[in-house]
Amino acid sequence: MNWTKDKSIALSRVCVVMFAALLLALDVSAVLMVPMVERRTQMFLMLVTLDHGTWTVLVALCSVFAWPALWKLWRLLGNLREEKVFVEDNVRLMRAVSWCCVGVAASCLFCGFEYAPLFALAVAAGFMALIVRIVKNVFQQAIAMKSELDLTI
Amino acid sequence: MRIIVNLDVMMAKRKISSNELAERVGITPANLSILKTGKARAVRFSTLMALCHELKCQPGDILEFEDDE
Repeated sequence: MNWTKDKSIALSRVCVVMFAALLLALDVSAVLMVPMVERRTQMFLMLVTLDHGTWTVLVALCSVFAWPALWKLWRLLGNLREEKVFVEDNVRLMRAVSWCCVGVAASCLFCGFEYAPLFALAVAAGFMALIVRIVKNVFQQAIAMKSELDLTI
Repeated sequence: MRIIVNLDVMMAKRKISSNELAERVGITPANLSILKTGKARAVRFSTLMALCHELKCQPGDILEFEDDE
């Protein structure tokens, strides 16, 4: 089985199902969430008084993933500027960016045990990872189609 | 199991060069080379029709099916 073609899409599908389950759980528990939303002012105050140590750890962990992600995005834009759109390098770069988002999500998840609102940020980063991953899957298919088209005379 | 392209045989019979055929058919010499060397993944009907027209032959004269057995 070709990892990049088959397993990658399967993993993306698993991620979509996981997020769907998360969304379903959120929908079902929406009524229970209302008191939490009512306490938003209190949550804001918690944000302001975020523990210095947790904040430092969070920024340090996120930076480990954010810098490579920005570098990969820079390279991706460089490729696009050179009109290299459907090339394997772009797929590799998007895959790396996706894993960097997963890294940020994991960091937020880790720090979320110290400061609960960071769990929301972890979900957002995870969702971003999923979106980038699916765009990468689309690019992968497009490359296969392009190579087929290039050899059609 | 594969399709063999006998384009070079027909070109030799008709005494026509690659560049001339490519120009008449309306494809690039590079694409004609891909077709001749059997690297092409597919052939458009319009290309096949133009090739048959220029070489005055049938598709079967250019393409040949070879079975494994």
